Amino acid sequence: MSSPVNNAISGTSAGVAGATAAVLGQMAHAQGSDRIKVGMLGCGGRGNGAMQNCLDADPGVEIIALADLFESQTKSTRDRFLKNEKYKDRFKVNDDHMFSGFDCHEKLAKCEADLLLMATTPAFRGRQLMAAVKAGKHVFTEKPVATDVAGCKEVMEAARLAKEKNLAIVAGTQRRHQTSYVETMKRIHDGAIGELVGGQCYWYGEGIWFHGVPENSPMSELEWQVHNWYHFTWLSGDQICEQHIHNIDVMNWCFNGPPAKFTAVGGRAWRSFNQDQIKTAKEVCRKFNGGSDANWEKYNGDIWDHIYAEFEYPNGARCLSFSGHSPGTGRQSEKIVGTKGTSNCSSTITGENAWSFPGRGIDPMVQEHTDLIESIRSGKPLNEGQRVAESTLTAIGTRISAYTGRAISWKWLMGGSKLELVPRDIKPGPGIFHPIATGRDELV
Amino acid sequence: MVKRAWTRRELLRSSAVAAGSLMISGAAGPLAFAAGSDTIRVGVIGCGGRGSGAAENCAESSPGVKIVALADTFEDRLQGLKKNFNVPGDRCFVGMGAYKQLLTIPDINLVILATPPGFRPIHLAEAIKQGKNVFMEKPVCVCPAGYKMVVEASEQAQQKGLAIVAGTQRRHQAVYVEAMKRIHDGAIGEIVSAQCYWNMGELWVNQRKPGQGEVEWQIRNWLYFTWLSGDHICEQHVHNLDVVNWAFKDVQPETVHGLGGRQWRTGPEYGNIFDHFGVEYIYPNDVRTISMCRQIKGTTDNVSERIVGTKGVWRSDPGVIDGEKPWRYEGLNPDPYVQEHADLIKSIRDGKPLNEGRRVADSTLCAIMGRESAYSRQQLRRAWMLSRCTLNLLPSDDLKLSDAKPVPAFAVPGQYQLPGWTPEARGRGKRG
Repeated sequence: MSSPVNNAISGTSAGVAGATAAVLGQMAHAQGSDRIKVGMLGCGGRGNGAMQNCLDADPGVEIIALADLFESQTKSTRDRFLKNEKYKDRFKVNDDHMFSGFDCHEKLAKCEADLLLMATTPAFRGRQLMAAVKAGKHVFTEKPVATDVAGCKEVMEAARLAKEKNLAIVAGTQRRHQTSYVETMKRIHDGAIGELVGGQCYWYGEGIWFHGVPENSPMSELEWQVHNWYHFTWLSGDQICEQHIHNIDVMNWCFNGPPAKFTAVGGRAWRSFNQDQIKTAKEVCRKFNGGSDANWEKYNGDIWDHIYAEFEYPNGARCLSFSGHSPGTGRQSEKIVGTKGTSNCSSTITGENAWSFPGRGIDPMVQEHTDLIESIRSGKPLNEGQRVAESTLTAIGTRISAYTGRAISWKWLMGGSKLELVPRDIKPGPGIFHPIATGRDELV
Repeated sequence: MVKRAWTRRELLRSSAVAAGSLMISGAAGPLAFAAGSDTIRVGVIGCGGRGSGAAENCAESSPGVKIVALADTFEDRLQGLKKNFNVPGDRCFVGMGAYKQLLTIPDINLVILATPPGFRPIHLAEAIKQGKNVFMEKPVCVCPAGYKMVVEASEQAQQKGLAIVAGTQRRHQAVYVEAMKRIHDGAIGEIVSAQCYWNMGELWVNQRKPGQGEVEWQIRNWLYFTWLSGDHICEQHVHNLDVVNWAFKDVQPETVHGLGGRQWRTGPEYGNIFDHFGVEYIYPNDVRTISMCRQIKGTTDNVSERIVGTKGVWRSDPGVIDGEKPWRYEGLNPDPYVQEHADLIKSIRDGKPLNEGRRVADSTLCAIMGRESAYSRQQLRRAWMLSRCTLNLLPSDDLKLSDAKPVPAFAVPGQYQLPGWTPEARGRGKRG
């Protein structure tokens, strides 16, 4: 990926003192080479995957720092990459670049990385992103980017600041970088299916891991919650936010913006009766309560297992959002309906302007990093921060509608909602447990 | 369903079957038991709130209507109608078999079926067997076995020249009728999407009283037991599902996929039904529609339908078409709860009996499919529901009020067993 353009940029940034703020922003730490020094925040499954995707995207990528709440995760991640023939030469993480604890993102932001990859628990993304942008880092962030309204607004603010500082933010909603989607969407936007009047999007699956406390681990209750983050709304945003955001983002892409209104129903019909999960929850309860599992329910998580929603977009089109987990029929797709045809958003158009994507598939999980790095090198950093915050807020707004039983508007979400679930000061200790939403919770 | 006029010959034949004689001719055919007059003599089966309302609507709808007999499981429930219509004691029947006694009275020529829906297929079959015209409340069944009984009875009614009108009153409501005419004439183009809702607060609940038998309590609190009400998607939301079917000219959805649960209304007094459903109905040509219903106190209300076409959109509330051919209904809007009876009685007197049995059964089946999909979380095909699903919630003939009939557990995905379902059924026809 090394190119004359890139070398020219690197040359410019070598003269840091004389450089414009814009160029400083682009490659502040590249120091005359075409290397991209990357720090990883969040060394779980997705973090490991994102690093690999990033290394595959560009030969100039070097991993120089790792950060995670748990020291064990940074160590096992480094060991894994150092054993990998393909990547070990570009994996240069010294002991003093291994950060852990709830403040690890602050330490990471102070290191000399050009680009930070973020794959921690979504709850903390806003503050982490803000710290990174303030420190002049480009960012790749996994989705979703928040679990509450306050978090979404913080990301929007960080995106604004990144724009000012000419920093890139690319989000892990990889369909936006998947050629088949991109080409299909161009046609939809050019009117191939006429005016958009409806649509559907789905992510219904069989379930997800439920982590107990690892053997001999000294982790506190709160740390266990973060370890088992998916099952707590304040940490994951619930499944609609954590997973279904991909499909929601495609719908928003079709309409070039978020819905105006949300109406949703939903509940927790399966997770509370899932015997495997209950068994683990009881084990966790005994661990933190001197052997008693009397109050095991709170350890069983509070997320729902299904939300069925209608989005009404500003042009009046009403679309279905269908998400959840349980045994049953799985679905994961999108469909958009226009006055002249329909599309699956990902490769085909039916109707007057029937078309199908002729190309070969590419790996969008790599492509998003390729696009990100190219944009940094070309001095035209992509900034997807506002957009991914809007899609995250779409999911959160839908969840709020379902939890409260109220129809709500985008305007109210942005102007009226005070929902803030994530404490600013967070440290190891007792867990933060909320009751399971009733379907008629108070609007906050 | 094609409605057609009866030929004199057919009327004679059906009257002969019904009355056992050839003395009645012409328009009197469906009035087989009118004994020489065209008075509509009505028996009411199920005299609770809706039955009483329907009887009053019926009496008000047309001249020459008399409420002449009553049947209810509980004596206290029929006192109101007995008093209001001066029904003699020997024409009031009480108990689980009351409906049967009422239906043997020869001079009754119209019956109102308004018991809890779980009994409807049995009551309808008996009513048609006894040669009665029928007004029946919705829904008309709670399971596929009941659906088949209703369809069978409706076909027999057709053969006998008997009328069946159902309490999906929007089909008799001017603002709907006029809109649907236009939709069917292409005013909004081809239908590409639709939404319907019954989101509301809560309904009455009857707590179990000391000494009350299990079955008695369940019947008195029937909304909350699937075998009696079909769950609220069936009991209420069938109205809206029926409107969407109507827009599609009663072409039925091929596939359903539903979600739902019991999130707020969890006490034992709420039996085993859910408090919310969200169901996707997929019509031919992959036209996908939204259905949403909820009964949770203090949540946002919405009871309406919306049909989306390539050239415009119709909204039931406030009854307008927006698009290439804007339209707003400006005529009279007579009470549809009365109008449905007027239409029924006129059809009987004109010798052109309406028969809505098949149609309302189909819409009820949509609700049942949505419910079973939500209970099982499986995507279900209508063809499978009709050919393989063995779900049968019909009460047995000898059910007694004192019987121990434990409330089944509410459905939990992964645990709920949908009778007849096999994993192999999932793969075929699945929509991604």
